[in-house]
Formats: sequence, structure tokens, C-alpha cells
Amino acid sequence: MGRIGRRAFIRTGAVAALATAVAGRRGAAPAESQTLNVNTWGGSWTAAEEAAYFKPFTEKTGIAIATVAPVSFAKLKAQVQTRNYEWDVSTINPTELRQAELEGLLEPIDWSIVNRAALGPNQVSSQGIGAVALATGLAYRKDKFPTGGPTSWSDFWDVKRFPGPRSLFNRSFTVMAFALLADGVAPSQLYPMNVDRALRKLSEIKPHIKVWWTQGNQSQQLIRDGEVDMISIWNARANELAEAAVPVEFVWKQAETYGSYWFVPKGTPRAQSAWRFIDFAVQPRPMAEFCTKLSYGPLNPKAFEFIPPAQARKMPTYPEHLKIGFFPDPAWLGPNMAMIKERFAQWLAT
Amino acid sequence: MAGDLAARPPAPAGRLGGPWLLLAPAIVFLALVYAAPLGQVLVLSVTDPAVSLAHYRRVFTTPLYLTVLATTFRTSLVVTLACLALGYPLAYAMARRPGRLAVALLAVVGMSFWTSFLVRTYAWMVILGAKGPVAALAHALGLGRPPQLLFTTFSSTLGMTHILLPYMVMALYAVMKKIDPGHLRAAASLGARPLQGFRHVFLPLSLPGVVNGCLLVFTLCLGFYVTPALIGSPRDMMISQLIAQQVDELLAWGFASALSVVLLAATFAAIAVYTRVAGLDRLWG
Repeated sequence: MGRIGRRAFIRTGAVAALATAVAGRRGAAPAESQTLNVNTWGGSWTAAEEAAYFKPFTEKTGIAIATVAPVSFAKLKAQVQTRNYEWDVSTINPTELRQAELEGLLEPIDWSIVNRAALGPNQVSSQGIGAVALATGLAYRKDKFPTGGPTSWSDFWDVKRFPGPRSLFNRSFTVMAFALLADGVAPSQLYPMNVDRALRKLSEIKPHIKVWWTQGNQSQQLIRDGEVDMISIWNARANELAEAAVPVEFVWKQAETYGSYWFVPKGTPRAQSAWRFIDFAVQPRPMAEFCTKLSYGPLNPKAFEFIPPAQARKMPTYPEHLKIGFFPDPAWLGPNMAMIKERFAQWLAT
Repeated sequence: MAGDLAARPPAPAGRLGGPWLLLAPAIVFLALVYAAPLGQVLVLSVTDPAVSLAHYRRVFTTPLYLTVLATTFRTSLVVTLACLALGYPLAYAMARRPGRLAVALLAVVGMSFWTSFLVRTYAWMVILGAKGPVAALAHALGLGRPPQLLFTTFSSTLGMTHILLPYMVMALYAVMKKIDPGHLRAAASLGARPLQGFRHVFLPLSLPGVVNGCLLVFTLCLGFYVTPALIGSPRDMMISQLIAQQVDELLAWGFASALSVVLLAATFAAIAVYTRVAGLDRLWG
């Protein structure tokens, strides 16, 4: 093909492509031609979402779902700043949700689309809607404590009654709450948090903390291989170990229940479809389906109507567990997060 | 005379324009993907969320940041020296004993280089763990329970040395390979014993590799954070961990930028001192 020939060829091709694009746009209804981009964690999380949310939602509405992994809080800010949206829906934890609300990074909830009557009482934040929750609690090796293991954070701090190496989740506000509980603070009095008191109490246990874990599989490895005798761990991870016959007991008392919330980044052109999707995903039935696939707890209490009781008892939002556990307070934690992380890092590094 | 003139390129356009024209794509590329974002980081550090030097004041008045910065430089120095101590004999063996051994060593170094550093970090978790081979060996030899190896300064230094060693070996090998064996034979023919030959001939000729390798490993190590976070103790926190936390978890990009600028400035200062001492330009020239 000669030089002119190639140019002409490219020109024809471009015109043809343009024509197809225009025709496509005219041909289909706007909502159905749209693809909604959902930000997700990947792995088993995305697989469960696929079955519980994405497939039934696309069948019902004709809106296709494309996934983008992994979840990134920083990406939210970058997207809103550059107005270039790689995804239109994502989940976020409640303190990050509060931080994002304060920074003006989120779309307000579109109540003309979302059916409020279907939601639970504590499920709604000002710009996000609660999905599922995970608990971080105390777990110990039953073989190391045959006469009964630690059952509270004060027991975790009691190295005389319960000797042995320990590990804690390297998340500032979580371990600070545990320290305050160990020091006798009532769960309802945790926030606003007395950071000095928490760090003082943490200093008592610091020499006995062999590892400050950062990754979920790391926490499992530590307790499975007997690297430590007790640990603060996510309930789903402890559950997996118990199912694999590792002698691990998870303590629901004083466990921290921390949720994930659906939200829409401010300014995305697909906000309407995004709220339609969220409205679908927070209904009891799809949520129950998601939670039975993984060991998360539904933040919509009505979802328990669709979950077998034996399975419900393993979930952090099971009413009996919620009575003896606690929720972090995003209203206080959100604006104080920078201070908390700095104080904690300083304490950890010295 | 006439030949000289003919060999000279048509001045001045060719002499100046030629190289610049050849460099232009690289310069434009670097300006777009390196200089511009770096400038943006600099601007962010004094403008986000408001125009002020408050971020820098916070870096220099909060003990945390200076402590962690000092830890970062100390760790990088230790890792660099460890890489040099391990890498020099290895590169020497590869360069001086060509044949099967060199090929095998090169393959080992290359394979280690191409294996994901996350995989290598997790491998150390297994090796040094309470149920790992090191503990099993100590138990088998009747030494009892070994001291804690994992999640210590030792394990994170070991892990980073392992990950960065190939860079050191490659830098050294590239230089050593080019050292003419004739030089050493000449030294020997003049009566130098092998050790003298090495000290007075091979070692000085290999120094550019040492200088390059150390600089490469040191600067790469300054930016590390996954390995110390996974297998180190919290006391070994590197400054990049704090920068990542500011970016990913706190969305405090202004403060993160200020921390990055301080790290960059400290790195430049360290390289400037190093260049002075090691005579970098002389070695490269």
C-alpha cells in the first residue's frame, strides 16, 4: 500500500468508526447503553459481588457493570480533582467516608432513586449508605489456654494470667479503643477518645506485642503457625482458620464492628445509574446473598430474614454480637484521623 | 590538514543542533513525566490546602518525621554496605571465572532479580518464622527455641539486602567484566603476588562499579517501604511508609508533598557529599 493509499485508508476508517459511534448513540436508550464502573477489592470479594449484586442488577436494569480493582481512597480525590472518572461507585469505611464528606468529594444521596423505607435505621450516613461490616476482635489459640482463654481486652493486657506472645492489628484508632476498654472505659464513653490515656495503656503491653500486623493473610499466618498465642483479628479470617481445623476461638465481647459504605464520587456523569445500583445493592435480599458467601455482616438488619440462623451467628452484625461489641464513631474519628495516626506512629516508632 | 577540516562537522548548527536534536525526545519525555510532576509536588507542598510553610514547620518540629528520616538513611546505609560485602565477591567470581560457574551465578542473580519482591518478602516470612526451617534446624541441633528472627531490624535488613543485591552485583559485574585480564597478568609478570595484583590493579579499576552500585542501592533503598512494613519491626519504619499513609489514608497531599520534598532534598544532599568523597564525576568521566 502506497503512502497516499494508506492515508486514504485511515481516513475512510475514521469516518466509518465515527459513523458507527453516532449510530450506536442514537440507537440505544441512554440508560441501557451505559456501563457502570464499580470499584472493588478483587478476589473472593468481587466474586461474591458478581453473584449477589452485579448479575441480578444487570438482568433487572440492562445496565452493564465493569469492575476496577483495587479500592483506593486516594483515587477518589484524584478522580474528583481531575474530573476523570475511572469508576462511578465504590465502598469505603465510615471514617474515610466522613473524611471524604468533609473534603466535599461525594455526591449527595439521590433520594428520588434510593428507597429509604427499605433501609435500616443506622445504615445511612449523610452521603453514603451502609453495606456490610467486619469485626476486629480478640482471638486466641485454644490449645495454649486449655483451662480457658482471655475473654476481654483487660485479659489480653493481663500477661501474668495469660502469658505468651501477642499480636495486634496495626490500625491506630482500633488498638487505642482496645487499650481504653482494657483500662476500664465503657464502650459508650470511647469517643471523643482520650489519646494520652490510650497510649499510656498501650505502652504497658508494647513489650509483649511480637508483631503489629498489616495484612489479613499475615494475621492468619501468625496465629495458625503458633507465632503468637493471641491476636486481634478480623472475624472472617478467624472463621476461615476455625473451618480449617486450627484451634482458634474468636471473642465477640468488645469486638470493633467496622462497616463499608457505598458512595458516588462527586461529579461523575453516571451518578443516576450509580444510585440505582446502590439502591439495588442495599436491599435485604442481595445483601443477604453477599454475606452468606463471605463472613461479613449485613448493615441492613432486614437481611437477616434471608440468612440461616447458624450462619447469622458468625456475623458481626448479629444482634447478640452488636450488644457486646462497639462501633467506632466516624463523626469524631474523621476530622481527628491525621492527629491520631501521627501520635500512634510516633508512639510506635519510639 | 585538509583531512582534519573535512572530518570536522559542519559548524555550528550541526555541532550544537545535532546532539540537542537527538536529546530532544528524551528531554521532552522527562520534562513531561518527571520534571512537571515534581514541580507540582513542590507547589503542592506550599499551597495545599493553603499557601504557607506550615507543612515544613510540622516536618521539622514533630519528632516523628526526623526520627523516621534518620532511620531511613541509617537503614539504607546498612543495606548498601551489606550488599557491597555480599555482592563484590559474587561479581568478582562471575567476572573472573567465566564459564559454567559464571553462567550459573548470573542465572541465579537474574532469577532473583525477576522474582516479585513481594514473593521474596513473603518467602523470608516463611524461612524466619517460628515454624520455618531456621527454627527447625536450631531445634534439631538441640539449641532450643531460637531468638525471634522475624519482625526485627535484622529480618527487614536481610530482606532488603536480598532484594537489592542483584542491582549491586549487576553494577559491579558490568565494570569488572571490562577489566582486561592482561592487566593482572602484567602485574604478575612484574612480580606482584595475586593479592597485590588485586589490591593495586583490580580493585582500583573496579571502583566505578562500587560507586555506581552503592549509589543505586542506596537511593533505591531510601524509597522502600513494603519489605520493612511486612517483615520489620515498627521501629524500622521508613519515611515512604509515612508518605504513603498521608497520600492513601489521609488525603493530605500537601503534607505528603512536603515530606517527599524533604526526602528528595536530603537524598540530593547525601549524593552531593558522596560525589565529593567518591569523585563520582571523575569515575564516570
